[in-house]
Amino acid sequence: MNFKLVFRITGKTLLVEAGAMLLPLAVGFLYGEDPAPFLYTLPLLVLVGAIFSVLKSDDHFFPREGFFAVALTWLLVAAFGALPFYFSGYFETYIDCFFEAVSGFTTTGASILTAVEPLPKGILFWRSFMHWLGGMGVLVLTIALLPNLGGRTLQLMKAESPGPIVSKLVPKASQSSKILYSIYCGMTVIEIIVLHLVGMPWFDSIVNSFAIAGTGGFSIRNTSIAAYGSPAIEIACTIFMLLFSINFALYFLVLCGKVKQALRSDELRFFLIVVVGSTALIAIDIWPMYSGADAIRHAAFQVSSIISTTGFASTNFDLWPEFSRFLLILLMFIGACAGSTGGAIKCSRLLLLLRSIRREVRQVIHPREVNVVKLDGQVVDEGNLRSVHIFIGAYMLIMLLAVLLVSLDDFSMVTNFSAVASCIGNVGPGLEGVGPMSSYAAYSGFSKLVLSMCMIIGRLELLPVMVLFSANAWKRS
Amino acid sequence: MNIIIVGEGKVGYTLAEHLSRENHDVTIIDTNDAALRRASELLDVMGVKGNGASIATLREAGVEAADILIAVTGMDEVNMVCCLTAKRLGAKYTIARVRNVEYAKDMAALKGELGIDLVINPENATALEISQLLRFPTAANLETFYRGRVEMISFRVRQDDFLVGQPLSEQSKKFQGLPLLFCAAEREDGEVIIPDGSFVPKVGDRLYLIGQPGGLGSFFRLLGRYTQKSRTVMIVGGGRIAHYLTVMLEKLGMKVKIIEQDMERCRQLSEALPKAAIICGDGTDHELLEEENVTAYDAFVALTDRDEDNLIISLYALQQGISKVIAKSNRQNYTGIARAAGLDSVVSPKLITAGQILQVVRGMQNSKGSVMNALYKIADGNAEAMEFLVNETTRHQGVPLRELHLKKGILIAVLIHQDRIIIPDGSSVITSGDTVILVSRNHRTLDINDIYEDSRIELGGVQ
Repeated sequence: MNFKLVFRITGKTLLVEAGAMLLPLAVGFLYGEDPAPFLYTLPLLVLVGAIFSVLKSDDHFFPREGFFAVALTWLLVAAFGALPFYFSGYFETYIDCFFEAVSGFTTTGASILTAVEPLPKGILFWRSFMHWLGGMGVLVLTIALLPNLGGRTLQLMKAESPGPIVSKLVPKASQSSKILYSIYCGMTVIEIIVLHLVGMPWFDSIVNSFAIAGTGGFSIRNTSIAAYGSPAIEIACTIFMLLFSINFALYFLVLCGKVKQALRSDELRFFLIVVVGSTALIAIDIWPMYSGADAIRHAAFQVSSIISTTGFASTNFDLWPEFSRFLLILLMFIGACAGSTGGAIKCSRLLLLLRSIRREVRQVIHPREVNVVKLDGQVVDEGNLRSVHIFIGAYMLIMLLAVLLVSLDDFSMVTNFSAVASCIGNVGPGLEGVGPMSSYAAYSGFSKLVLSMCMIIGRLELLPVMVLFSANAWKRS
Repeated sequence: MNIIIVGEGKVGYTLAEHLSRENHDVTIIDTNDAALRRASELLDVMGVKGNGASIATLREAGVEAADILIAVTGMDEVNMVCCLTAKRLGAKYTIARVRNVEYAKDMAALKGELGIDLVINPENATALEISQLLRFPTAANLETFYRGRVEMISFRVRQDDFLVGQPLSEQSKKFQGLPLLFCAAEREDGEVIIPDGSFVPKVGDRLYLIGQPGGLGSFFRLLGRYTQKSRTVMIVGGGRIAHYLTVMLEKLGMKVKIIEQDMERCRQLSEALPKAAIICGDGTDHELLEEENVTAYDAFVALTDRDEDNLIISLYALQQGISKVIAKSNRQNYTGIARAAGLDSVVSPKLITAGQILQVVRGMQNSKGSVMNALYKIADGNAEAMEFLVNETTRHQGVPLRELHLKKGILIAVLIHQDRIIIPDGSSVITSGDTVILVSRNHRTLDINDIYEDSRIELGGVQ
């Protein structure tokens, strides 16, 4: 393991984080708030980042360095991102701050705050800005800004980008990240304008746009989007949550004029079928509770919010019938498309699993039949299929283990199960104790750490964190 | 520039490596998943799976916007069709590797029809390089400039050479009047130095000397190392390189014996090369080599398919006391090992091809500036020797060299002014119409203007 290189990459990313922190600092100034939380954090961050990034190392870069660097970077970025919260004095312990920061960067949106409205604007801005940074990935940003990280940056992109198969849009990795970030920025700007037009104040529209773009879900109102009480805002949010859960490579295709090719994507079709199907089922289920169109609007909002792993709420869905609640839990597992800012298992993985199952059944009926699994008309490599199966298996095992650990706090099984499913899927709210109108504050420090790890494991798609905790990776040989 | 490489073999990979390092947008097309994955994991390039001769695949790789398409798959026919299709689809410049000896003759006539702008033949280029070495066996490597009137050779400093241990400036008296220059040195640990007067040669250094062929000959006579051109050559391995090489050597009046294992191939060679002696047998078997009296030959060339075999039998030939031994090896990491064992002349078809193509790419990148006539990768690819034609775009014309601020690691080795070959000193000036030969340690020279300290032209910035 080339530790020096790993630390250099981490250091550069910390410097980028320091740069990003200037923005909430400026917002704080604008509103005349005490800049102390950020002024205390910045020197620490710059110092550690600078020390790491001046390390001399050779550029020997292999997958294990990539995975290791990504996991370490995320832990440190979250640890430092938590400091402004800590210095602000609105949080009780550092673990609470760490939980909040991890939840921010992993775009989960699970909060330990029971009331967010009294927080200073600078802190609120930073909380949501973390979603925006974490959505596309902090390392991808670092690659875009500092392309000289070493030759083999694809390893980093691979480890950080969601989805079973990661490929570049254009030959150069740094160029690829720039294109992704440009699309991301462009869509965010459009969203800010649209949200303002449908009636949000500027600050709210910016902060909520960050949360939706990163599919995060931190709200600056205690009752989330429901607080605005405006159907227009809810419809606009629904549309943007869905847009940000589609593979960004498809937008690149559209920009290149290949609209047809983008619409032919198997994953996109699967995603849309799931969204439309679940919306219809839930709308029928909750029809008696709302009047007509409201049922469809709330169903659509909640389905997009959960499947995109954003976690906003337009109403307290914890009060919905059992069928709808469980369907939402299922959506937490499915998650968004690969290559989007959303989390969880991802539609393409699920689609590949379903197709593998179909193949396995056919294999039993016709033992000698030769069958390949295809996605978008292309044969999927058996190696990729295997990693998809293992991913889904490991995802479930890690989740069950985490539920067991969290159960030490003696809350109801629905609370624990939905909390863990929600954290590892980077969704945010769960049911009952951690429902959309409550928070994670009641959990013990240990449980918060477990849930924080779940969020990072989920965001980085298991392997990087498992590499970080594998004894083999720490050996020099 | 947008460059598409079809075929991720040895040459394709090397090209992708060099071109992506020079900041070009490289896309590789191959049918093999594993090869593509290797390339996209190790290099900053994009892989497209598919048949490079099919329109759909080429479109997916963005052929419409491609500046250069390089077809280097294993099959000549595929390469040709590839270029033909790509040209129709809008690729600006196409390069095809065509290796087959029979096609080689037809290519001149067919190039235009097939939409191929440049045909490269690594085997032929390698054979040419080997034949030059056999003409001047003292050199471990030899490159030619200015239509062969300037040569650059490398040799290893030995214990008893008078060069050892004294700075070059104090030795200039010994070979005063000889028009030559030490233009690069490679230490045994791989460090590359562009020498000045204070450079002290050490035993084991590999020195690069540039000058006119006559002057170089005189220098080696002074050094007591001059050897006549080889008259008899034994080649092990009867592949395409051996075929091309034998034709070239026979034109130079040398006697050639080829040892080849495959009977069928022996028959083909015997039919094509009536003057050469073709032996059917295992060239790695020393009994056979002794039987064929290997020690009586002036030169020994190992050209089998396996790099390892080539190096081992070359070492055996060296041990037998053959004065000139050349081995083919595509693996760069073996070159160092071979050199440590005393084998200096190792040719790599892969590097030779990469050099040829890089020369074209850089020439295209800099179509407005000075014209690059030649580019050679020397010292294991860590330095480059280049020949430029000076034109109006070149800055600082008429300024004496001593007043110019050149970038570090760059040396103006030879100036050719009005057909006179000059080893420049501080008072020499560059004027339009001159040919300049440069040696550079940094890989960012596209134009003569790039060697000046005040140059702001960045790589890839000029089109």
